[in-house]
Amino acid sequence: MEILLLNTLNGLSWGMLLFLISVGLTTVFGVMGVLNFAHGSLFMLGAYLCMQAMQYFDSFWFGLLVGPLCAVVIGVLVEKFLLKRVYDRDVSYQLLLTFAVLLILDDAVRMIWGSGYHVVEPPAILNGIMTIAGQDYPVYRFFLIIIGPLIGGLLWSFFHFTKWGKIIRAASFDNIMAEGVGINVPLIYTAVFALGTWLAALGGALAAPQQSLIPSMGEKIIIESFIVVVVGGMGSFPGAFVGALLLGLLESFGTVFAGRLQMAIPYILLAVILLIKPNGLFRKGV
Amino acid sequence: MSSQNVLRIENLGHSYGKFKVIEDISLAIHQGETSALIGPNGAGKTTFYNAISGKFAPTRGKVLLNGEDITGLPAHRVVDKGMCRSFQITNIFSELSVAENVFSPLIIQQKKHFKLSGNIYRDKAITEKTMHTLEQVGLADRADQVVANLAYGDKRLVEMAIVLARDPSVVLLDEPTAGMNPEETENMIALIKRLAKNSGTTFFITEHDMKVVFSLAERIYVLHQGHLLAQGTPEQIRANAQVQEAYLGRKVHA
Amino acid sequence: MMSSTRRHNLLGPAVLCLVLLMAPLFIPTYWTMILSEILIMGLMAISFNLLLGYTGLLSFGQGAFFGMGAYSAALMLQAGYQNLLLILLVGILAALLAALIVGFFSVRLDEIFFAMITLGFGMLFFSIAHNWLDVTGGSDGLPVFTLPSVKFFGSELTFYTPINMYYLVFTLVLVGIILLWLIVHSPFGLILTSLRENKQRVAFIGGNVKILRVVAFALSGAFTGLSGVLFCLFNNMATPEFMHWSFSAKPVIMSIIGGTGVFLGPLFGAAIFFVLEQVIIQFTENWMLFLGIVLVPIVLFFPQGVFGTLRNRFFKQGVK
Repeated sequence: MEILLLNTLNGLSWGMLLFLISVGLTTVFGVMGVLNFAHGSLFMLGAYLCMQAMQYFDSFWFGLLVGPLCAVVIGVLVEKFLLKRVYDRDVSYQLLLTFAVLLILDDAVRMIWGSGYHVVEPPAILNGIMTIAGQDYPVYRFFLIIIGPLIGGLLWSFFHFTKWGKIIRAASFDNIMAEGVGINVPLIYTAVFALGTWLAALGGALAAPQQSLIPSMGEKIIIESFIVVVVGGMGSFPGAFVGALLLGLLESFGTVFAGRLQMAIPYILLAVILLIKPNGLFRKGV
Repeated sequence: MSSQNVLRIENLGHSYGKFKVIEDISLAIHQGETSALIGPNGAGKTTFYNAISGKFAPTRGKVLLNGEDITGLPAHRVVDKGMCRSFQITNIFSELSVAENVFSPLIIQQKKHFKLSGNIYRDKAITEKTMHTLEQVGLADRADQVVANLAYGDKRLVEMAIVLARDPSVVLLDEPTAGMNPEETENMIALIKRLAKNSGTTFFITEHDMKVVFSLAERIYVLHQGHLLAQGTPEQIRANAQVQEAYLGRKVHA
Repeated sequence: MMSSTRRHNLLGPAVLCLVLLMAPLFIPTYWTMILSEILIMGLMAISFNLLLGYTGLLSFGQGAFFGMGAYSAALMLQAGYQNLLLILLVGILAALLAALIVGFFSVRLDEIFFAMITLGFGMLFFSIAHNWLDVTGGSDGLPVFTLPSVKFFGSELTFYTPINMYYLVFTLVLVGIILLWLIVHSPFGLILTSLRENKQRVAFIGGNVKILRVVAFALSGAFTGLSGVLFCLFNNMATPEFMHWSFSAKPVIMSIIGGTGVFLGPLFGAAIFFVLEQVIIQFTENWMLFLGIVLVPIVLFFPQGVFGTLRNRFFKQGVK
């Protein structure tokens, strides 16, 4: 019973982080058709920039606000100067270009902050242990479980109730149609990439107090968020949510039932879903 | 009687969910006859073509080719059985040469597609048949050109050559003159007539351009809202009041 | 008229062969070793390009087959097998078998989905290699202490010196590349190119797209396995890293740098990759940063890769 609760909580908190970075990845793919290899590096960058801003302002909350916004600036530059040129090129070129961005960002962070571990303390109010149903649990992780659906809900409302959100959804279905009705597609692309970057960086900033910061932290999470995006259905918002929680919980419970095979769980999940539902759980076949 | 029917469709129907796109279509096409399937946009022509050519399996009914049931076979098996098709949007191998475009179907027909060595240009069985096919469609002088560099009308001819290469008993042509200028259209009509006459190929075409239809088809089938509305000789179809009402009237005399 | 045979210019490859044959006499031992690595990875990249450049499939899991070759060789050598041919054969077959299985499940997908499922399968192999301690030695990998030797004109030829190893690698890579060249220019090769151009059309001329793709995938896997065996002998080690996606990314990078539309393009890409690495690490530890910086303009401004674009610019007009 305790194991059940503990693993559920762990799975949910990890799943929420996965969701934040996957939802950005899936939106960018849905609108622009580009699978961004550097998305994990933007996550990593968000964590480092949050740490830096936090030291500067001496406040976690400022770090959380400023760090991801700084990452957005870099994201916009990447989109404006690099990605823009390969939208109509073959998938392999898009992947390789974003992979190059990954290499540059990872090594740049290594040069600036060093390759060692960094630790970020959660703010006092979220530091410590709380008791849930008789189970001791870190407050910060519980905070993640709450903030995930909160941001998800805000995003969902944005996509469904605001003009910009609706435009982005229209563009993700058919960008030619969007152009036809007079929507400025290049601007949308930049805006969507900025949003995706912000979400990834926010995920990184939120992950900072929970895991140690190293330059390679993006490389692990990018593969898992690829899996989430494919499993959920590329370009699908609910798919990213369900996929992230599914993967988070599977990985968490995997430590109990899968033993040494735990590491293979995400890839088994990916292969199984692609074989049963090649379009993912939440995407209708064309 | 049935031995003359190279292609026979019985009660063919296809639905997407509850929506019946085509329903209860039966027809029989004679050996060597050129026939046309016409109908307004959305009548279900493309669905009909896809269902009989193996793009997907029809939900109801039967397709018989040379008396053999080929219903629901995948595309490559339908081709093996002797029915090959063209597409509305030119469907060729753009970055290959004209000759190479025709090599591919021949390599597969002669079961050499898993041959891991050997130069195709030295394979007489393939090169001679390729040249013969290219001469038929009038592309022999451009055999070495990369297809992407050809004019639009010539690309359509390349697709024709690909389709004809394996000597299919039935050739389905999906709007063979779509997008062509008047001269190219005339050429295509003449080509189809010549092929039908000389090699006895059975053509079954869909076409928007009524001029093309009436100058080619010996028999016309009219599809309307998923049903076969009428069939007959061009004269019968011209005179058919139902067809006039549904579709033809304005267009023919315009 | 159709030219009766297509002429292949063999002068360039012949000169290249001669240069590679003579090179160890003129360059330092260290560079001979780099050259061995270039040849091995070049073979892997050309095998990969059978999929990307010729069949139009972006595989992101080639490391799995490279690793299958390497682990087979390491396991056999540890078990005391000394017959080089047998080791090569088993390594290639193991990779072929793995590629058949992965291919069987993957080829129904296209483009990015194909890239993702092959990446997933590759990482599945990686997880197994990383965690199956008893067989694979886990994250430490399997060290190799003895290398097979061959009888050569009555004398025993060993491969413990970098020069001898280089000539072993050169010979086998040459054989591999010649076989791949034959495949690419065979009837099967033309059908693969047709698949790349238009897979629907291949189905509608009677080709079974799935089986054709599986065969292409398995062949690519087998040659990748050969390069894996060679790398294990060269490196005296098989490690799980071979199967990691970041290793699978290497042939992708090399092929695109060199040019996917030219048969030897990926080999040149491998050469550029390693030479660049050697030059850059003279100045800085951050080789990845500079690799990234070099990759960006290559992707943006060399649409047919460095070798392919230069060749098209100077020797013949490209398509369009």
